[in-house]
Amino acid sequence: MTWYIVRRLGQALAVVVGVMVLTFILLHIEPGNTAKAVLGLKATPARIAIFDHTYGLNKPLYQQFVIYVDQLFHGNLGISYQLQQPVTTLIAQRLPRDAVLLGLSTVLALIVGIPTGIYQAVNHNQFADDALAGTWFTLYSAPDFLEAFLLIALLCVQFHVFYATFSGGITSVGGLLADWRALVLPVLVLSINSVAGFSQYTRTQAIQSLASDYVRTARAKGLSRRLVLNRHVLRNSLLPVITIVGLSFPDIVAGALIAESIFNFPGMGLLFWQSALEHDYPVMLGATLVIGVATVIGSLAADLAYGVLDPRIRYGSS
Amino acid sequence: MAAPSALEQAAEGGSIQRSRAPGGLTLRAFLRNRRTMSGLGIVVLLGLFCFAGPLVYHSQLVIVNLNIINEPPGPGHPLGTDEYGFDVLARLMQGGQSSLELGFAVGIAGTVLGLLYGAISGVLGGIWDAVLMRIVDSLLAVPTLLLLIIVSSMFSLNLFVIIVILSVLSWPSVARLVRGQVLELRTREFAQASTGMGATKWWILVKHMIPNTLGICVVTATFGIADAIYALSVLSFLDIGPPPPFADWGTLLTNGVNNLFNGYWWQVYPPMIALILVVLAFRQIGDAMNDLASGGQTGRIYVRRRRRMGFLQISTQFDLRS
Amino acid sequence: MRRSPRLAAAAAILALATVVAACSGTSSKIGSGTPKITGKPEKGGTVTIAEVGASPNFIFPYAPSTNSNGYNVNLTQGLWPFLVYSGDGGKAIVNPQESLFSSLKYSDNNSVITIVLKPWDWSDGTPITSRDFTFVYNLLKYNYENWIDYTQGLFPVDVKKVLTPNAHTVVLDLTRSYNPTFYTDDVLSTIALIPQHAWDKESPSGKVGNYDETKAGAKAVYAFLQKQGGIMSTFATNPLWKVVDGPWTLQTFNSSGYYAYVPNKGYSGPDKPILSKVIQTPFTSDTAEMNTLRSGTSIDLGNLPLNDVNQAGELEAEGYTVAALPVAGVAEMVPNLYNPVNGPLLRQLYVRQVLEYLVDRPQIVKKVYAGYADPGNGPIPVDYGQQWDSPQEKAGGPYPYSVSKAKALLQSHGWSVVPNGTDTCQKPGTGAGECGAGITKGEKMQFQLLYTSGIASFDQQNAAIQSTEAQAGVKIVLKPEPFNTIVATTAYCNAKVHPVATCSWQLQDYGYNPYFLDPSGAGQFNTDGYGNYGGYSSAKENQLIDATEYSSSSSAFFAYEDYTAEQLPYLWLPNSSNLFVFKKNLAGVTPWNPFSGTLNPEVWYYTKPGS
Repeated sequence: MTWYIVRRLGQALAVVVGVMVLTFILLHIEPGNTAKAVLGLKATPARIAIFDHTYGLNKPLYQQFVIYVDQLFHGNLGISYQLQQPVTTLIAQRLPRDAVLLGLSTVLALIVGIPTGIYQAVNHNQFADDALAGTWFTLYSAPDFLEAFLLIALLCVQFHVFYATFSGGITSVGGLLADWRALVLPVLVLSINSVAGFSQYTRTQAIQSLASDYVRTARAKGLSRRLVLNRHVLRNSLLPVITIVGLSFPDIVAGALIAESIFNFPGMGLLFWQSALEHDYPVMLGATLVIGVATVIGSLAADLAYGVLDPRIRYGSS
Repeated sequence: MAAPSALEQAAEGGSIQRSRAPGGLTLRAFLRNRRTMSGLGIVVLLGLFCFAGPLVYHSQLVIVNLNIINEPPGPGHPLGTDEYGFDVLARLMQGGQSSLELGFAVGIAGTVLGLLYGAISGVLGGIWDAVLMRIVDSLLAVPTLLLLIIVSSMFSLNLFVIIVILSVLSWPSVARLVRGQVLELRTREFAQASTGMGATKWWILVKHMIPNTLGICVVTATFGIADAIYALSVLSFLDIGPPPPFADWGTLLTNGVNNLFNGYWWQVYPPMIALILVVLAFRQIGDAMNDLASGGQTGRIYVRRRRRMGFLQISTQFDLRS
Repeated sequence: MRRSPRLAAAAAILALATVVAACSGTSSKIGSGTPKITGKPEKGGTVTIAEVGASPNFIFPYAPSTNSNGYNVNLTQGLWPFLVYSGDGGKAIVNPQESLFSSLKYSDNNSVITIVLKPWDWSDGTPITSRDFTFVYNLLKYNYENWIDYTQGLFPVDVKKVLTPNAHTVVLDLTRSYNPTFYTDDVLSTIALIPQHAWDKESPSGKVGNYDETKAGAKAVYAFLQKQGGIMSTFATNPLWKVVDGPWTLQTFNSSGYYAYVPNKGYSGPDKPILSKVIQTPFTSDTAEMNTLRSGTSIDLGNLPLNDVNQAGELEAEGYTVAALPVAGVAEMVPNLYNPVNGPLLRQLYVRQVLEYLVDRPQIVKKVYAGYADPGNGPIPVDYGQQWDSPQEKAGGPYPYSVSKAKALLQSHGWSVVPNGTDTCQKPGTGAGECGAGITKGEKMQFQLLYTSGIASFDQQNAAIQSTEAQAGVKIVLKPEPFNTIVATTAYCNAKVHPVATCSWQLQDYGYNPYFLDPSGAGQFNTDGYGNYGGYSSAKENQLIDATEYSSSSSAFFAYEDYTAEQLPYLWLPNSSNLFVFKKNLAGVTPWNPFSGTLNPEVWYYTKPGS
């Protein structure tokens, strides 16, 4: 097993490097002159020259990449062109905040989604199943911003139960958690989408498990329904859910663009988005690196969890 | 049909069950099933509304008329007008064409590609599985927003380009899901039995794996359709969608939501209802297709009632036919 | 049927939405004058201002060429005001109380300026002297290329000599004559005085000296100050930045862009702050700000996006006043006279006239901007000020909306007019009644309009323009793109230089061009002007612009203004105003200063209701 992990880590490294190279190339394909994008109306040839010189943009592409990698190994991710701050600082400020927000919403979605999925499976094709499915899909189809608006309109504007935004003075994770009245709505909005997915996939798997032989055997042996559900059905139903959680792990570091924009939550999503629009290469590369690492970790963790949940799944054998 | 009695037999905890390939999913069964037909009915109605509606309900959607912008429903405009002065009902029809085409194309394409890729990867196992999955990881890690911005500035985004892009972006997650499922299926006795009997990997793939992952795939396709329609609205929320006055339900909804606080409810609810209807209808169809594809055992844990239940997976102890 | 539970669930959620949307807004008239604020003024109080979009990231008043963040001035203006402070009580004039000079005299044919500084002090008690001015001059002299606000040909390169006869007098000997209004309003207003006695050093622990007097020293000091100026975590704590001469000093600054001012107790000016604290709190988007405005009263002053103008009634019910602030700038579609596809078309004046005749500006102002926009009659906004608004400008400009005039022009130049189709040239050639040089037979009257995406009113405006242009067969193809993409992929194009890679754009609408206090056309409409995007070039225009730079007569300015309005180097468009909301009991905010807008909280105060 350890040999498997080591191999996977090696592959992970290869993936991350591949993604970095790809992103680097993509960035330089992006049409337009970087200096002009950043300087906007103030771009004069003299300033563009200074800009290019300061950031080494007039060197050949491969050389820029080499310099970047070299800096990377010294822990330096460069300086954001637009925000004029070290990229490491920016990421270190925003990442924990996103982790809190998205982590909480994923946990909430799991807590609600998995039991509902199993309940739906047990009451397959009954009224309860259809009603719940209808609710989840309705919530899923309605866009994030609509749900956010509706919730804000109801719970903040009409009845001042929660806050619509975080006050700008908060920066630390502790401060975030302390301002829980502003945390509730974004977590809720973000979890709504995931709940539909978790519950539906759980339901699908659970239906299958419920029909399988060992479950019926267990029932025939007289095991209580509860025990059968918890011990057998639940475990198997979790497999696709784990895949999804693994797939969503990078989202935790990629942030949630729309929620951040509506709830005044400067996180990785907005950082990424603005840097893409503004040709802010160092930030884009830094964020891609972080997301790439998170993706491979998520994928590896999901695969390992598979192995734990279903001992029959073994790696390394054909 | 033979199915019900086999079901009931199975429900009693009967002995040898026969595995059925998705033989239950015949056209005839599809057409006779209440749920698939009602779901299909909704989709057909919506399709007629969007594609045949404009032939009946004439309204011009080209010339902007600032004098009649944002008017509430009234004579001449049953659903009012939007911020360009266009009739909302007509925009709904026009938008529906784009949304339905997009949703269907991307949902199906993405799922089929992902299914093939994931199933092959799962069956091959070993190094090939590792390589293929790492490619999937890379694709998942690539910044999609960046890609979208680049593509939108290099090509003018029209519906076809967006369909291609969204399909490319959606299959990796499907592939991972399917591959996970396949890994689990491979450990089952029927698969091992097949191998024991000398069946090649490809045979197992086609005969067992793909049919047995249909459950996951149908659910995925349903989400895929919803996602695709929704993705277009996100693109327009981020302002890199096709130029106005392009319409699709998601974009109409986005523009409408901006006006929610202004009280222009007629710009919000019609596209929202249409969107939700189409997603629910596809879900209905997908779910019922699952049930048909089974044609096998029950999904209830206690056998108190004998209803025709569908389920997703055909797992048997012995498959004499393979 | 099985479907009903699903639909019932959907219906329930929609019902929720109904409740919500029912509390929609009602529109109400927004004033632009000074609302009556009655009540006794209170000393103290905190004002929280909503800051949407970017936030400052640099505190040294002279930012490097790599930092184009326009919000930095918001941070520094309260700490180190400009020598010439623009805007006073809603008027576009120089503000005598807050400027740092007590007199400005132009002599020697307007090529020598004698500046007498006010006898004010820095916050640490040291007097502000002419040495501080020469400190600025020396630093910029050797580093102007790395100063983001440097304008080509102007300060400091246009200065021959700087003399300081005494501690409060500075004599600038310029290389040529300038229109005093232009120079004062547009050049001296970019210069902030900085404390030589505290900042003239090369390292944090180094000693203060006269390093700026040598080239190497000036470079070293500038580099040092630039480096320090970017370290956000020390903005509020670095002793350098504690030495200020403005009404405020910075108390906190955190990395999200949230910062707070408190009064500078050592401020020498008459407009001493009455409030005890001013907080700027950042918002990631207009939406987030609107939501906060609607759901509570934590914001005391904020922006109202034009799209939400219907919310004004609700906001007023919550205790806010809503007011409109015209923007000091001009909005336009810039024609690229040298694009490879239809450059020759755009070079013809009659074609530009046709394009302008077909824009229904009054309707756009009324319907898209709810009346809160400048009508776009010419290069100068209509309420800029008496000395700058010519009679023609005030009367509506030379090209009021007229489809018939457009059609007549086209037909008289040999075009076949196809309403809602595309016109084609039937009589190519350069004679009278013919299309013009470089235009071929059958050439289409079709243009691509590139504009900034993401703004709902822009989408509406440009779609409307597309429709009205079509009435005379002029086909406009819309292409919205993010602002940064437009700026990055397009370049200045003129007769001499127009590479296809960056000059294939035909019409561009990126937003608006801001003006200084003196709305001179220099740089925009003269040949080779640094802001002349589309390549317009005319000897007469150059002459008229020069005349405004040298002489200060109104008639010279009006001549430039009217000629430019007629010549259409830009296709004039309405420019929307900014709408603001602020607490009812906050006085002093209006009448608005169009240049400092919300940046002079030293004159604001709260009032107690009643009495």
